Amino acid sequence: MDSIMLWKDQYELGVPLIDAQHKELFRRVGSFLQVLRSEDAWEEKIPKLDDTLEFMKRYVVEHFRAEEDYQQKIDYPGYEFHKQIHDGMVQYVQEVSQQYEQSDHNEDLMQQFGGRLLAWLINHVAAEDQRIAEYAKRKGLSGNEG
Amino acid sequence: MKDKLYNAFVEATRNVFNLMLNITDISHRQAEDFQCDDEVDIAIGIVGDLDGEVVFRFPVSTSLNMVRIMSGMEFEEVDLFVTSAISEIANIISGNVLTALSDSEMQCNLLPPVQCEIENHKKYDLETSSCLGTAIGEICLEIRLNRP
Ligand SMILES: [Fe+2]
Ligand SMILES: [Fe+2]
Repeated sequence: MDSIMLWKDQYELGVPLIDAQHKELFRRVGSFLQVLRSEDAWEEKIPKLDDTLEFMKRYVVEHFRAEEDYQQKIDYPGYEFHKQIHDGMVQYVQEVSQQYEQSDHNEDLMQQFGGRLLAWLINHVAAEDQRIAEYAKRKGLSGNEG
Repeated sequence: MKDKLYNAFVEATRNVFNLMLNITDISHRQAEDFQCDDEVDIAIGIVGDLDGEVVFRFPVSTSLNMVRIMSGMEFEEVDLFVTSAISEIANIISGNVLTALSDSEMQCNLLPPVQCEIENHKKYDLETSSCLGTAIGEICLEIRLNRP
């Protein structure tokens, strides 16, 4: 199975640490979706999906924190608004994974989660995160402050 | 107000299609006559200074194309994954509209997207619909709002 590539170079912010984390996030979400959408029986997919889900729960929090630190460092005026979006997503991921465990690995829940995650991530990185880079550029920051 | 809302939704849809799907060429026409045999209707409730909903009518082929572009994977039917992905896009577009309008006098909040059947019997203070033509098919937005 060819691995799918969700990442596009146009998403790059020019902040090396953040870009590296975004690429890793897209790579993980890509392999998550690939397993989720494969023809295999649901039972067979569960262990792999659980692994990725656990990883993402940790990694998303780590990435959001790093990105928020960077915003503070450059005095990004949209910090509070952006943090609210991050917090909302963390809460959503936690709620879904809790429901998922309680439902004993219900497939419908994961399919819904996958679809929303895909659209959310692309929009967030392509639109919201991009604003941080635009601000940094306007202020004449090189992008290596991250 | 009607025109302002109409334009705000067209503009937000343009931006989101451009950023998320790399689709730049979008035409629009005001239309009450959107016809489609198989579509997915996603309603986003609006509460606050305006009260009502916006229904996004995505033809099945448009929906499948959108998800294919985002994921790089092929989709044959509209399942929970596809519905959820396009619901999020409807949510993102509506959120951007409210952010754009909140600079002026309006304060509103969105309700989570729900799949719905389009109903046409109710009357609203502000009613307008827009058909957007894109390279991956048409979509239609039905905006129906009251001032409480
Ligand atoms: Fe980010
Ligand atoms: Fe972010």
